[in-house]
Amino acid sequence: MHAPLALLLAATLDVQTHTLANGMKILVHEDHDIPNVAMYLFYRIGSRNERPGTTGLSHFFEHMMFNGAKKYGPKQFDVQMEKNGGRNNAYTTRDITAYTDWFPRTMLELMFDLEADRIRDLGFDPKMIESERGVVYSERRSSVENSNAGLLYEQLIAATYTAHPYGWPVVGWSSDIESWTLDDLQTHFRMGYAPNNCVLVVAGDVTAAEILALAKKYFEPLPRQPPPSPVRTREPEQTGERRVVIRKPAQLPLLMVSYHVPASSHADYETLRVLGNLLSEGRSSRLYRRLVDRDQLAIQAGSSLDHSLDPGEIIVNIQPRSGVDLARLEKALFEEIDGLASSPVSPDELQKAKNQLLTALYRDWKTIAGKADLLGRYEVFFGDYRKLFAAEKDLEQVTAGGIQRVARQYLHDRNRTIATLIPEAAR
Amino acid sequence: MIALLVLAAALPPFTRQTLPNGAVVYLVPRKDVPLVTLRAVVKGGAESDPAELAGLSSLTAELLRRGTATRTADQFSEQLDFLGATYQSTTNPQATTLSVESLAKDAGRALDLLADAIVRPSFPESEVKKALAERSNAAKAVKDQPSQAVGLYFHSFLFGPGHPYGHAPRGDEVSLARLERRHLADYHSRVYVGANLVLIAAGDFDPANLAPQLLKAFSALPPGKPLAWTPDKPPAPPAKPRLLLIDKPDATQTYFWIGQTGLHRTHPDRVPVWLVNTLFGDRFTSMLNDELRVNTGLTYGARSVVEQNRLTGVLAISTYTRTDTTTKAIDLALDLLQRLRDKGLTAEQLASAKAYVKGIFPTERLETADQVATVLGDLELFGLNRGEVDDLFARIDAVTLEQANQAARKYFGSSALTFVLVGNASKIREAAKKYAPDFQETPISKPGF
Repeated sequence: MHAPLALLLAATLDVQTHTLANGMKILVHEDHDIPNVAMYLFYRIGSRNERPGTTGLSHFFEHMMFNGAKKYGPKQFDVQMEKNGGRNNAYTTRDITAYTDWFPRTMLELMFDLEADRIRDLGFDPKMIESERGVVYSERRSSVENSNAGLLYEQLIAATYTAHPYGWPVVGWSSDIESWTLDDLQTHFRMGYAPNNCVLVVAGDVTAAEILALAKKYFEPLPRQPPPSPVRTREPEQTGERRVVIRKPAQLPLLMVSYHVPASSHADYETLRVLGNLLSEGRSSRLYRRLVDRDQLAIQAGSSLDHSLDPGEIIVNIQPRSGVDLARLEKALFEEIDGLASSPVSPDELQKAKNQLLTALYRDWKTIAGKADLLGRYEVFFGDYRKLFAAEKDLEQVTAGGIQRVARQYLHDRNRTIATLIPEAAR
Repeated sequence: MIALLVLAAALPPFTRQTLPNGAVVYLVPRKDVPLVTLRAVVKGGAESDPAELAGLSSLTAELLRRGTATRTADQFSEQLDFLGATYQSTTNPQATTLSVESLAKDAGRALDLLADAIVRPSFPESEVKKALAERSNAAKAVKDQPSQAVGLYFHSFLFGPGHPYGHAPRGDEVSLARLERRHLADYHSRVYVGANLVLIAAGDFDPANLAPQLLKAFSALPPGKPLAWTPDKPPAPPAKPRLLLIDKPDATQTYFWIGQTGLHRTHPDRVPVWLVNTLFGDRFTSMLNDELRVNTGLTYGARSVVEQNRLTGVLAISTYTRTDTTTKAIDLALDLLQRLRDKGLTAEQLASAKAYVKGIFPTERLETADQVATVLGDLELFGLNRGEVDDLFARIDAVTLEQANQAARKYFGSSALTFVLVGNASKIREAAKKYAPDFQETPISKPGF
């Protein structure tokens, strides 16, 4: 494993950092393989910063960021990017809103101009707000109402959290999507879109010096503002199993289970990542072998552990076969999960999970887009991008005993929420 | 200023050789991240499925890792996962691709696994049964995802039974019930032969070490007979619009595809059509997305698809909208199609499309070793040479406004259209009538697509 370590250390040296006078943090990674650039802006604002009545506002705002500012009016952000050979996207999570730009290096300065324009002088055209409301509603209909997995996930999360804002959907409840006002948007803008609340990452065919000069020209004049208020609510400890059932017309049932786990910055996070891989990564994983292969109760078994600033959850999601007894499936699933707590994982199996995670890191490192995303996420969720370069060491420190302890501590029945979707005949 | 900004695209250095059994081998050593991609492209794909055995090529590929002469399915998975390697098997209309990506230090072991799967699969009866049941369940599950199901329905409705593109590539409940172990074993011995195989190694490896192992492992395959490709016979354009309505009673949106046949991968019109499609429906500011999403908020996304396959494929509009705005969205989409034909494109639009496709090309095709491996596999499969990439920007630049507008009229809305709608039939049946009075209707629960 020496070669990979050396590569990551070398990469460490390649990241140049700077903090502008207004507090904006900048990370630059030079990579000249292709004449393209990935520029990512991470704002530390997401659905956890919202309130009942305006859920989904962060995500809606993300959409509005493409609907015109002072210098570049409605549609111009996309028109300018695409006619210069670039494209973009953005995503909102419970914790952050990220803007992702990919473009040829020839439009580097234009990109800074476009981004600075919308952070400084976003327009709030009432007509654009109304049509964008329809777009977001359509997104919700696609990802939730017309997706059984999306629908069940939303209910699972809502039941997992009784107090913390992580319980409402990032896309927002329908009634809130219908009712956002211009005023809500403006308040949100002032709260989250300050340079001191942003990390800028540039990876690709650039030099650190040119990025710094452009950042000083375009971003440094932006004024510092108070960041969003801290999220005070802490989720109370769960003290018993919860259950959610959805009945609707469907071809196949679904099963999802969540367990509360600590925030990404917690010492147990790395062990939980390894545990997630043991459960569901690859066909030698415990859930695949038991549920898909041996018992033939499911066609798919996965798990997910997202980055989170506050304590979050690990989710197991199963696509059962048609007509299976869900009680039998649950029993088999929980036997496998309990197995992680009751006996230590073998050295080979543990090493396998670590190898999978390390290789996955290199796969993310293949593209400038992957690099920009990794650097920004490590900076935001772990407080320091350099944590990325300790990934191999952190993985090495995960032990069989640690897996057992973490499984006992978090993956027990009092801490879990079970959600099932049960097909019924169409009426 | 623009002239100075023209970027070039070029494939990295590679070697190409042919093994005694006919297999073609590409080597693309390239230092970047310490990963190696090994890719085997087997000619055939979904178009080589007999009409009544839809899913045969895809299911054969699925079984390769589930038991070989030297490994059980479990052993294969354990050894693969221990390397942290990824293994993918995908079947497209003309080929099956099997690829493994591993750390550079494990490339030899990854190669051994891939070769074992391709050269010596044993198709254990118990694994075949499991895989068939999984596939049959998956064919049902896809109907819970209307955005995916609508495309499958569209292909079978447009091409019809008997056409190589008229069936679901992964099979359906009906065809899967017919498939047996002997079909898979027979397909493997006929199709997985030197004459149909393209191998590509790309990434951080030393050819002096890896190449001999690669050549030895795959020389074990017999030369066999090259696949007999079927001639390109697209369905005749319909005399009047045709429409299939799939009833999904719980749907709150209507998902629809509207289209016709387009062109094939090596057609001389491919570059102008690519540019026209970019403007019509293949980027955020495209006519379709601008009107249906940005201006009217009718949908989260609207696009158009021009398939790039060996035979003439689909050219279609694809989007979705709230049930009660179904007619409005379809009318607008049809209106845009007509506008493209009537008014054509402007020089400014064409210049923008050229800059766009050239700007994103490196990130899609040339950035990583596995992207380059994909490109090389395609060139070999479609009988193209490296000029397809190296001269691409020159060919893009050479497209004139007149050529682009000719392509728009020749391909987009040039015949009566085929519609497939997935939605709540009780609420959109009247709308369907408007586009094709004698439309067909099928409940989504009916087996097959």
